[in-house]
Amino acid sequence: MPQPVDSVPVVEMRNIKKSFGAVQALRGVDLVLNKNEVLGLVGDNAAGKSTLMKVLSGAYIPDEGEILIEGQPVHFSNPMDARRMGIEMVYQDYALANNLDVSANVFLGREVVKYRVGPFQVMDYHQMEEETRELLTRLNIRLPSVKQKVERLSGGQRQAVAIARATAFNAKVIIMDEPTAALSVASTQQVLDLIQELKDQGASIIIISHRLEDIFQVGDRMIVLRQGRKVCDTPVSGDLHNFREQVVAYMIGARDDFAAKATA
Amino acid sequence: MILPQKQPLDRQEQFSVPLVTELYYYLRENIREYAMFIALFVIMGIFAIATDGLFISSRNLVNLLNQTGYIAVLAIGMTLVIVIRHIDLSVGFLAGFLGAVAATAMTAWNLPVYAVIPMVLGMGIVAGLINSFLVANLGIPAFVATLAGWLGYRGALQLLTRATGTIIIRDEIFNDIGNGFIPDIPDIGILSGMHRATLILGLLAIAIYLASEIRSRLRSSNNGIPQSSLTVFILKLVLITALIGGTTWILSGYRGLSWTAVIVLVVVGFYHFITTRTVLGRHIYAVGGNPEAAELSGISVKKITHVVFASMGMLSALSGILYASRLRSATTTAGTLFELDAIAAAYVGGVSAAGGVGRVLGSLVGALVMTSLTSGMNLMGIDISYQYIVRALVLAAAVIFDVATRQKVK
Repeated sequence: MPQPVDSVPVVEMRNIKKSFGAVQALRGVDLVLNKNEVLGLVGDNAAGKSTLMKVLSGAYIPDEGEILIEGQPVHFSNPMDARRMGIEMVYQDYALANNLDVSANVFLGREVVKYRVGPFQVMDYHQMEEETRELLTRLNIRLPSVKQKVERLSGGQRQAVAIARATAFNAKVIIMDEPTAALSVASTQQVLDLIQELKDQGASIIIISHRLEDIFQVGDRMIVLRQGRKVCDTPVSGDLHNFREQVVAYMIGARDDFAAKATA
Repeated sequence: MILPQKQPLDRQEQFSVPLVTELYYYLRENIREYAMFIALFVIMGIFAIATDGLFISSRNLVNLLNQTGYIAVLAIGMTLVIVIRHIDLSVGFLAGFLGAVAATAMTAWNLPVYAVIPMVLGMGIVAGLINSFLVANLGIPAFVATLAGWLGYRGALQLLTRATGTIIIRDEIFNDIGNGFIPDIPDIGILSGMHRATLILGLLAIAIYLASEIRSRLRSSNNGIPQSSLTVFILKLVLITALIGGTTWILSGYRGLSWTAVIVLVVVGFYHFITTRTVLGRHIYAVGGNPEAAELSGISVKKITHVVFASMGMLSALSGILYASRLRSATTTAGTLFELDAIAAAYVGGVSAAGGVGRVLGSLVGALVMTSLTSGMNLMGIDISYQYIVRALVLAAAVIFDVATRQKVK
């Protein structure tokens, strides 16, 4: 995937460090996400993937390092800050309220208000349902009804709703934490198709995944983390078999492209 | 992405289906919503027959509504508390204590009734906020935090009534809340024997109900949302109209609508509006469904907890006022077991222990079911011991029904 060299990256994280007590979870990680790029983030357990993404989504405040969104330095003190800057996170367990319907979940925390009665805001159901319907159509997601309760949907459908919700408010970056981990084979393919659809529509996406074939299928570029450091940053190419062997070599520490920087 | 799509049944085209079959499917699909109403109908029908119509006589119906009042307002508040996965055991003695405060304020401190009622409601809100502070800010389980309240308010009630015993309330306005009826319009020659204001209100309620149902149906059909067939829709309208009309007619035959009934209707209407139409209501249900997701969506779970417990406290105060007013006095044992009656009413009304599910209207019906059982069995002269057992069975059946229909959904 060729990237215009002169364009400003959507996200740039520089030298991010984060410790929890004596444990150094991130030891100075750099990450660049270009516009309309799907970046895979891989690594063994405790490599720092989730921590890095929690820093980007505002859940953690880094000890050191800076974050630039479209070239502008930003400081997030909570997830809402990050959301306001257009950074949306899709959580592994969907983070949906199963007792509410699809439209309610898409607009959760951002309800469209029709008018106020004293301290109470009256919602505009029709507007929200209409916009949800349009959103699902645009993303080619088919559900029986936007009034369907989420608890009645399949795992793949729920993940689709979670992703749709992340894209509903002009997100600049969509971070997906293990989007296919809990899904059946058929549902996994549906979600991957959806990610491809989002990319075709111009979204910039970071995917954390254990499933290397997912990254191989939809990713443009891949970053491997190991023990809180970046050890590999490379375009996704070649065939799946070689790709897998290569990634595993980085994950277990057999290869390291940034060893010089670590010792420097 | 292609997901298996369940085609919504276009029932408009299925007019050839026999009505009974269609009714069966409609009820099966919406059983959770209507089960409580059906149960109430059945129970009232049984008692009406068993007592030769005494149960649905004007006098008894008024009594029934007034008895339900102080439990119903608690059940409505409790619904929201259970929806956000908490419980409030302090409401019974808080109601009793605040009723005693109201009585003391009017008799010993000589405060006017229109100052006493807002003061007591305010105290209820403060009591609710104390609970929510313990639960939301200190992380104490609601069961334990409000159990402390249960003990504390019981002690406070006994302290307040220790010197005098039962405090007799002589304020007529205050006593009218639990015993009085709305004024009637002057006699214009027709329906002289009836309470005409009540009839007019009943007609108004029917008109508003029909207008809103028809409007929402027209709206959904414009948006292509599938809905029940015209026959089922009309049947539903006729049933509800008959229910409102019948109740109004019976009440008009005696002294009309009681103030307690008016207060309960206003409270139910207000909470129904909040829970179904407003952002606050949606956030309450979101917190109940998935607190983590709600928090990640920018909803403050703490704030919702404060609001819900504060509303519970205020409704406890209202319950205390209704009860004291009804007895025209504050007693040393006022409020005993109210909390459990309210919790039972909420569960019978379809609230789910798992959180996130439960409707205000359901809890009102639940409260009516529980009071109807007591009232009906009293009229039939059934031993109080058996009454408890019957109520136990109804409560258990309601929860079993809830669990069974929930599993079918998944």
